[in-house]
Amino acid sequence: MAREIVSLTEASTRRAGELLGGILEAGDVISLTGDLGAGKTCLVKGAAVGLGVAETITSPTFNIMLEHHGRLELYHFDLYRLQRAEELDDIDFFGTTEAGGASFIEWGERFPAALPDDHLSVEILLGDDEARLLVVRPSGPRAEALAQTWARAVETDVSP
Amino acid sequence: MAFDAATEHVAIGLAEIGDDGSLTMVAAVDFSAPRAALGTLLPAVEQLLQSAGVARDEISVVAVGRGPGSFTGVRIAVASAKGLAHGLGVPLTGLGTLDAVAWRFANREAIVGIVGDAMRGEVYPCLFRCGGGRCERLGGYRVAKPTAAAAEWAALDEAPTILAGNGLAKYSDAFRSALGDRAELADDTLWTPTGASTIAAALSERDEPALKTALVDPGALIVHPGVLLPVYTRLSDAEEAEERRLGVGPVNGVAGPGRGVS
Repeated sequence: MAREIVSLTEASTRRAGELLGGILEAGDVISLTGDLGAGKTCLVKGAAVGLGVAETITSPTFNIMLEHHGRLELYHFDLYRLQRAEELDDIDFFGTTEAGGASFIEWGERFPAALPDDHLSVEILLGDDEARLLVVRPSGPRAEALAQTWARAVETDVSP
Repeated sequence: MAFDAATEHVAIGLAEIGDDGSLTMVAAVDFSAPRAALGTLLPAVEQLLQSAGVARDEISVVAVGRGPGSFTGVRIAVASAKGLAHGLGVPLTGLGTLDAVAWRFANREAIVGIVGDAMRGEVYPCLFRCGGGRCERLGGYRVAKPTAAAAEWAALDEAPTILAGNGLAKYSDAFRSALGDRAELADDTLWTPTGASTIAAALSERDEPALKTALVDPGALIVHPGVLLPVYTRLSDAEEAEERRLGVGPVNGVAGPGRGVS
């Protein structure tokens, strides 16, 4: 079942990411979809805070994968520059996403067969100005539970 | 010198092999290195040589784990081994990663089922007949779904009586429910190669290019460091579909020379 999270400001998109980061478990995989500037990296920056990552998060557009230390390892992929699915092996995609950390994958929809059966897909749709609609689609039991807990955490969040 | 880094573990062994084929272990080390083989393998090789008081130019042949296993681990080990062997001007030979795990049970009279983690919900299942200080591989390398491999093994007359391998971390339930009490699940400290078991597997290797060849004829082309190829992970989906379309041989899903099997 798809869920929708409405965010009116960049800060609240980041806060939604932080709430997600706080409930992630080892092995979770989040696929992020959205136009350039939609806020994919913004969401990951929030998640990094929720995971207790101290480092600054930058977009891995040119690195393809960046790794950050937190409560869990945070693996941040951007698959935009990959040409063929074989290149996923070159970047140790499967070894990394199955290494017991939490993985965020930008442009993961380019290689749908590579995503694990159980993953959470988040599509970020542009609204006016900083407003965004996060469309959350779980594809397995763990992702379903994650989506439910996340949506509840956002609804009941009282922080400014 | 033999080493393997195709699991979450790095194993390095140094042995002296006499003209009569006698084997004396000189030094060995193994340690857990999840996603860290790149930074730890060569320093550990260096340290092992130093602590054993062995000079680099005393190494007469290098043997490396060709997999199947972690794609990146295999590549790091094979690339490092090629660099070492080229630099030292010595032959390079291969060993099977699953074989190196099986050889840890060389003194158990048992059919040993090794379950390597192939990622993406699949395993590398491989059977060995062990006992009397030896292990013999009973088939080629292949990729399979854990439940299918477990059911297949359970239906055998000689079903495995010991199970080991890093694939069991995720899929021990599938094998336990298929094999029940018939198979003993080895302690997880026995799921990865050791320095001694890499040496043993290298000597037993029936696939080319074999360590035994290198010892007898170090100049043979087959053991030139440029020749050795890894047993890569699975065939790409496209390759597999193409092979099925062409009806080429039995698809075992493993890429590499001879699909990883001689």
